[in-house]
Amino acid sequence: MDNRQDTKLVSGVFYQLSPKRESFQNQSRTWWIIFIIVVGGSLVLLAGLFLLAAQSISQIGIQVVLITFAIAICMMIILSIKDLKIEDGTLTTARGYALFIVMCVVAALILIPLSLVFLPLDSLTFWIATVGGGLTLSFTGLMIRDFYPELRERGTAGILTISGLLIVFAIVYMTFLAPFITPYLPFSINVGPVLDPPSSEYPLGTTALGQDLLSRVIAGGATMLQVAAISVAVCFTIGVPVGLLASFRGGLTDRVLSLVMDSIFAFPGLVLAIAIAAMLGPGAVNMAISIAVVYIPSYFRVVRSQVLTVRELPYVEAAVVMGARDRDIMFRYILPNVLPSAVVVMSINFADAVLTAAGLTFVGLGLPVDIADWGWDLTSGRNQMIVGAWWVSSFPGLMVVILALGFTLAGDGLNEILTPKLQE
Amino acid sequence: MTDLLRIENLVVEYATRRGTARALDKASIILEENKTLGLAGESGCGKSTLGRAIMRLVPYPGKIIEGEIFLNLDQPVSVKTEDIPMGEVNLMNLDEDQMRALRGRMIAYIFQDPMTSLNPMLTIGDHFIQIMQAHDPEIEDEAALDRAKEILDGLGILPERVTDYPHQFSGGMRQRVMIGLGLALRPRLLISDEPTTSLDVIVEAQILEQMAELKDKFNLTMILITHNLGVLAQTADDIAIIYAGRIMEHASTDALFGNPQHPYTKALLEAVPDVSKPEKKLTWIPGAPPDLMDFIPGCMYNPRCPHAMDICRTTVPTLIKSKSGGKVACWLYEEE
Ligand SMILES: Nc1ncnc2c1ncn2[C@@H]1O[C@H](COP(=O)(O)OP(=O)(O)OP(=O)(O)O)[C@@H](O)[C@H]1O
Ligand code: SF4
Ligand SMILES: [Mg+2]
Repeated sequence: MDNRQDTKLVSGVFYQLSPKRESFQNQSRTWWIIFIIVVGGSLVLLAGLFLLAAQSISQIGIQVVLITFAIAICMMIILSIKDLKIEDGTLTTARGYALFIVMCVVAALILIPLSLVFLPLDSLTFWIATVGGGLTLSFTGLMIRDFYPELRERGTAGILTISGLLIVFAIVYMTFLAPFITPYLPFSINVGPVLDPPSSEYPLGTTALGQDLLSRVIAGGATMLQVAAISVAVCFTIGVPVGLLASFRGGLTDRVLSLVMDSIFAFPGLVLAIAIAAMLGPGAVNMAISIAVVYIPSYFRVVRSQVLTVRELPYVEAAVVMGARDRDIMFRYILPNVLPSAVVVMSINFADAVLTAAGLTFVGLGLPVDIADWGWDLTSGRNQMIVGAWWVSSFPGLMVVILALGFTLAGDGLNEILTPKLQE
Repeated sequence: MTDLLRIENLVVEYATRRGTARALDKASIILEENKTLGLAGESGCGKSTLGRAIMRLVPYPGKIIEGEIFLNLDQPVSVKTEDIPMGEVNLMNLDEDQMRALRGRMIAYIFQDPMTSLNPMLTIGDHFIQIMQAHDPEIEDEAALDRAKEILDGLGILPERVTDYPHQFSGGMRQRVMIGLGLALRPRLLISDEPTTSLDVIVEAQILEQMAELKDKFNLTMILITHNLGVLAQTADDIAIIYAGRIMEHASTDALFGNPQHPYTKALLEAVPDVSKPEKKLTWIPGAPPDLMDFIPGCMYNPRCPHAMDICRTTVPTLIKSKSGGKVACWLYEEE
C-alpha cells in the first residue's frame, strides 16, 4: 500500500522499469531485453512521430503533437492529485471525482485561450485532432499507470491485453493526428510519379494515381475505426440488453426474440453484410450497421445463455436472501458475470468488423473514392500486384492485420482480466 | 421470555409436472428469544423448505398454501411503501418490499455451500457494501468497509483481506465470510442451512464454536438445520424432528436425547454412530421415506413404524404435549 503511495506520480511501467540503484547490476537478462524493447520502442515511435510532424504538409504538425502531449500531461497530473487526495483521506471518492471534473474544466479554460493565442485556428479538424489525440494519449498514460502493476501480476494475459490496447491506442492516436502529420495530402493525386517504389521521398511508395502511400496509410484508419467502433457500440447496446430481457422475461418474449436472432444467425455473415450494405448504399455508418446486424445475434445468444446459468447460481440466491435490491441483483451480481463472455464476442466482433469493412470496400460497397482508406487501397492495389507494385496493397493490408491483432489481443486478455479468478 | 418466532400450520407445496408434493404439512414451531432451534430429519423431509418459507422465498415451483409466520420485532423497520411497526407481525401479510427490508436486516440466512455462495466478481468488502447499502442507501462505502473489517476480525479473518476475491479464500473461510455477511446488519434471527456440511470436522467444530460465541455477542436467535444429530446435541437448545414434511417431535435437547418419545426419533437416535461406544449396534430404519406426491393417509411414518396401529393408517396424529415436556405427534401418546 505505502509502496504505491509514494510512487503514485511515477508508477506503472515506468516505476517497474525504473532502475533501482542497488539492483541495476543484478537484473536478469529478460529484464534488460524488455527494458530495451520498451524504452527503445517508445523512443523510436516518438522520434518517428516528431519527424513526421516536422515534415508535415500542414506546417503545424509539431505544435499539434505538443498540444496533445500537454493535454495528456495535464490530465495525468490532475488525476494523480485527485488519487492522492482520496488516498490520504482528505476527500471522499465522490468529492474526488467532482474535483477532477472541476479541474478538467479549469485546465480547459486555461488551455483553450492559450492555444488560440499561439495558433489562431478554429477549424473543427484542429479541435478534433488535438482534443481527440490528447484524450487518447491520456488514456494510454492512465492505462500504463494504473493497470500496469495489476496486469503484470496477471502474467501473460496482462501483457497481451496491454500490448493489444497499446496497438489500438497508437492507431487511434495516429488517426486523430493524421490531418496534421501526413507529409502529403492523402487524397491529392499526382503528388509524385505513378507507382513509385518505396524511396526516401515517398517512404512507402506511391499508388497508381500517384498518391503518397505513407500519407494514405496514416490517414486510412479513420473509416475502419469508425466502422468498428460504431458497429461494436450498436451491437453491444442492442445485443446485451435484448439478451438480458429475453432471459429475464422468458416465455413468449424469449421465444420470439430467440427465433428472430437465430434466423439472422443462420446467414453467412459477410453475405448478409454485403446484402444489407447493397441495400443501404455506401458509407461508413451504413457499413457499421450492416456489420452490427450480423453480430447482434452472437451477443444475444451468449448473454442469454449466460444469464440463464448465472441467475440460478447460489450467490444470486444468497444475495436475494440478504435482501438485495432487484437492480443490484441484475447489475452487480448477474451482469458482471455475463460481461466477460460478451467481451470475448466483442473482441472477435472488432477484429471481424475491421476485416468485413475491408471486404465491403473490396467488393465496392464501402466508400467513395476520394477518402483515404486501407480497404480501398487494398482493393485497388491488387491490380497493381501484377505489375510488381507489391507495396500498394501490402502496407494497408499490414495495417488492417495489425489493427485486427490489437483488438483480438486486447479482447482476449480483457476477458481473463475481467474475471478475478485467474486462468489457473 | 418472549417468543421471537411462531409458525402455525404452515403448508408448502411444490407443483411439479408429476403432481403436487406437499413438502410441509401443517408445521408449527415456536422459538424463544436467544435460543437455538435445531431442525433435523432425513434428506428431502422439508428442512430447507421450512427455513426458506420463513423468508418467504420458497424456490419455484413451491408455494406457501396456508399458515401464519409471526416474527417479533424489537424495533420498527422503515420501508419505502409502508413501515413495519414494532411488535409481532405476521410475515404472510407483508408485501414484497417489506419482506425485502426484513431479509438480511432482521432474518439472515446462510446456505450450505460456501464455495458458490459468494459472487466471484465482487471482493469480500464489496459484498458487505452491497448488503449494507441495500438496506441503508445512505451508508458510505468507507463505513461499510470498517464494519466488514470489524466483523471479519471477530471471525478470525485478517481485516486486510476485504480487498480479496472469494476464490482467494478456502471453504472454511468463505463460510466464515458468509456468517459475517449474515451478521453485518445485526439481524435477530439467523437461519443456517447445513452451514458446515461441506467442511471437515475440525473446521466444522471451529465454526460452530464461533457461531455460539457470536450468538451471545449479537444476541442472536438461531435456527440450525442439519442432519447431524451430534452437532445439534452440542449446540441446540430445542430440537424439532421432521419427517416427510411433518413435525414429529419438538422438545428440548436434553429431553429429546434422554427421553425420546416418538418412534421415529428413537429410530433416528439408534442410527447415530457413537465413537466412544464402538460396540453399539447401529440399526437402520427399514423402508424409505414416503414419496411426497403419494399421499399416505394417517401418520406418515406408519409403513415403517413397528408400533403402527389401525388408527395410524387412517387419521393424522396431532402435535400434543408429551411426557418429556416437549410435543409429539403420535397416536401412542394420544388419550382418546
Ligand atoms: N424446486 C423444487 N421443485 C420441486 N420439488 C422440490 C423443490 N425443492 C424441494 N422439493 C421437494 O421438497 C421436499 C423437501 O425439500 P427440502 O429441500 O426442503 O429438503 P431438505 O430436508 O432440506 O433435504 P436435504 O437435507 O437434502 O437438504 C423434497 O422432497 C423435494 O423433492
Ligand atoms: S402414530 Fe402410529 S405409525 Fe405414527 S409413529 Fe405413532 S405409532 Fe407409529
Ligand atoms: Mg436442505
